Amino acid sequence: MGRKERPPIERHGGGFRFNLDLEEREMVHRLMGEMRSLLEDPDDSDGRLRRIYPKAYHQDGDAALDVEYQRLMREEILASRLKGLDAVDEFMAAAAGDRATATEAQMMAFMQALNGIRLVLGTLLDVDEQHDLGAVPEHHPMAGEYNLYDFLSWLLDWSVRAVQS
Amino acid sequence: MSIAPAPTIVDQPDQETIVAPDTPWIVLVWNDPINLMSYVTFVFQKLFGYSIEKATSLMLDVHQKGRAVVSNGTREKAEIDVFRLHEHGLWATMQRDDA
Repeated sequence: MGRKERPPIERHGGGFRFNLDLEEREMVHRLMGEMRSLLEDPDDSDGRLRRIYPKAYHQDGDAALDVEYQRLMREEILASRLKGLDAVDEFMAAAAGDRATATEAQMMAFMQALNGIRLVLGTLLDVDEQHDLGAVPEHHPMAGEYNLYDFLSWLLDWSVRAVQS
Repeated sequence: MSIAPAPTIVDQPDQETIVAPDTPWIVLVWNDPINLMSYVTFVFQKLFGYSIEKATSLMLDVHQKGRAVVSNGTREKAEIDVFRLHEHGLWATMQRDDA
């Protein structure tokens, strides 16, 4: 049975089965690698990571508390994100053919990593509430990035369905 | 005429060292155009153990009212909750519960 008849990710046995085709798997793998590079070698002037390291204290009077939070927790967030990418690499690399299976913990890591990439792409594209999946015209100068963003949104939504099933 | 006692110097704690009373804090999640409604609901269930009904209701508050209070407690607990929400990519902040 081809993937067209199957959801891209589904609960299977005690874990989750990925029914992605080779092109989709390679795209996910490439994006995870790019995310890792961006996290490991950040450019402070690069606003794309703004949503990865958000403020914890939003009130003006708590600015000093936020500085302290960032000082202590930024490395923790980075470590958590990199650990998640490692977990995704582990099960995707071990996959045979076009199938990959993930444990519950690996699935959680996959979803967090997927959403992290969406945060970066969504920030780059400055998406708003009006953005409709698949509605970006082909001639748009950033049509490729929009297509990636929409693909990741589709995949994340199916991931949520799988874990809640 | 009474004899005034000699003035004594009292150590005044500076602003930094005053221990605030254990004010409760609240954790807010803010609406943003990137996070999927389904994903936000899932994160509320996963992190706080909320039922699907409560998680969905909070997600709808975030989406429709712009923000929702998702947890509360001491500052330390609120910071942990904010951190876990940040790990999952949600736009979360905290403030004293002044209500």
